[in-house]
Amino acid sequence: MRPDNETCVQRARFFFYFFEKKDWEPGEYPPFKDILKVKKVEPEAVRNLNRFLNIRLERIASMMEVLMKAHEDWAVTGFKDHILMETESFDFNDAVAVLKENGFSDHEFILKVEYTRLWGVL
Amino acid sequence: MGNISTSYKSTSASSSGGLSNLWNQEDSWAVWLGLTIVLLSIVFWGIGDNFMAWIGVKTPSYSNFQDPLNYLSSHKDSIFALYLFFLILFSIAFKALNVKVKWFFAGFTFLFGLSVLVSVVGSWDVMKRYNIETPLLALVVGLLISNLLKIPNWLNTALQTQFYVKLGIVLMGATLPFTLLLEAGSVAFSQATIIAVATFLSIYWTGTRLFSLDKRFAATLAAGGSICGVSAAIAVGGAVKADKQHVSIAISLVILCSIIMIFILPFAINVLNVLPGPAGAWIGTAEFADAPGMAAAAAINEQALRTFTLMKVVGRDMFIGIWCFIMALVSITRWDKRYGSSKPNAKDIWLRFPKFVLGFFISSIIISILTASNIGTPKVINANVINPIIQLRDWSFIFTFLSIGLSSRFKELASAGWKPLAAITAGVFVNLPLGYLLSVKIMNNFWTIVK
Repeated sequence: MRPDNETCVQRARFFFYFFEKKDWEPGEYPPFKDILKVKKVEPEAVRNLNRFLNIRLERIASMMEVLMKAHEDWAVTGFKDHILMETESFDFNDAVAVLKENGFSDHEFILKVEYTRLWGVL
Repeated sequence: MGNISTSYKSTSASSSGGLSNLWNQEDSWAVWLGLTIVLLSIVFWGIGDNFMAWIGVKTPSYSNFQDPLNYLSSHKDSIFALYLFFLILFSIAFKALNVKVKWFFAGFTFLFGLSVLVSVVGSWDVMKRYNIETPLLALVVGLLISNLLKIPNWLNTALQTQFYVKLGIVLMGATLPFTLLLEAGSVAFSQATIIAVATFLSIYWTGTRLFSLDKRFAATLAAGGSICGVSAAIAVGGAVKADKQHVSIAISLVILCSIIMIFILPFAINVLNVLPGPAGAWIGTAEFADAPGMAAAAAINEQALRTFTLMKVVGRDMFIGIWCFIMALVSITRWDKRYGSSKPNAKDIWLRFPKFVLGFFISSIIISILTASNIGTPKVINANVINPIIQLRDWSFIFTFLSIGLSSRFKELASAGWKPLAAITAGVFVNLPLGYLLSVKIMNNFWTIVK
């Protein structure tokens, strides 16, 4: 198929959640485990959460920088628990490759891909 | 497909979702305009004005060439009013959809003029004798023009096949009683699901096992060839994170097969002597996409158009969200996980629900309530409200059929490679006989009496 014979528009949506990761790597400890629905929350649990958020928010900011450096045209929206980055002009495979080249892994973001037919296509 | 993207004003990345979907999506505008036309028909009838019937022109069948000329001459004001009516409504929608309205004006003027010409030639009794009525004629004329000449961008802007067919489907809702939708809906769904599952598995199995296609590509192709055409291909392609080029190929093949089927199905129905009701139901399971299916069904008659709509819209299109949910679940549980996947959310079923189907139901409910009330007899309502809607629906379908032809270049569509084409063809070989068996043999009596 000719590469210019495109019939759809791809929208890549990267979700960066502040308070949770999709999977926890060996050695990592979910910070909310000692806080949510715990009757006697220990101060240390809050410090753990602080440490987690420091690292997590820094990682999110770095991922955003990496994506923005790789491609200019992003819609970036802030929510109370996550950042959403969306684009229709940068292939999701390329975006993921850039993140991986910079040391980020699958469990640090959630990617959703949407296709819409090119305007006017049957 | 033409260079259609150029008719859409380029913008930088924007956020998705939210209430803006109510005015920045083609689906929503098809609903707004469709319901506007239904309500206008009721209001004009209510105040005793026959404006909607006046603009609902239809060339009568003729054998003498002087007849259509006389008809056009005596109805020139109505035709011009019809042109302005559509131009104003569509311009509002396309302005909101960020289309270059100046180009649309020029493109729609040409499209409308060609539609009038096609509808006049299609009413000639010689064309009717050879079964080349307006829908097929519009398609052939469009295909000839687009495959022999370069379509300019201003014309491309007006070739909004999906928009016109969705508007036509919303208007079609006004012609079908709501009780019929409920009654026929379950039968249509059961029948469509059996065929869709068998076709999906055939394409997927052939694609992955015989032709070693990527699983995601095969699933996208299978969805397009079995569920509801391009809409299914793009929805499932996104749900399983298929590559963009694979989704583009699936779309091209779905369109190519759909156009070929527009000619094959009416021919087969004629040769096999299938009655219009079952014929429409068969087209409803055999055709991949709404617009080409409408063209094939409209080439038969009004009853076929109705049973087609029941099968395709109520039996297939409505359930696209559920199919995507299942495919996304299969994708992350059975296949290798790909890039930051998350579990599919049940909310996505609603997000993927084709909203024009809501418009189809709402217009059916509005007219059903009107008919059930004592405001007018069914005969009066039929003549003064439903008939004008049918005429406007038919014009919307002529725009659709011309747009299919004018935006389809066989050379581009056929450049997808033989493996995916062979896989989707395998699905057609399962779909066609199974659909015939269910619609024409097993459920023949049911579909015959749906009028």
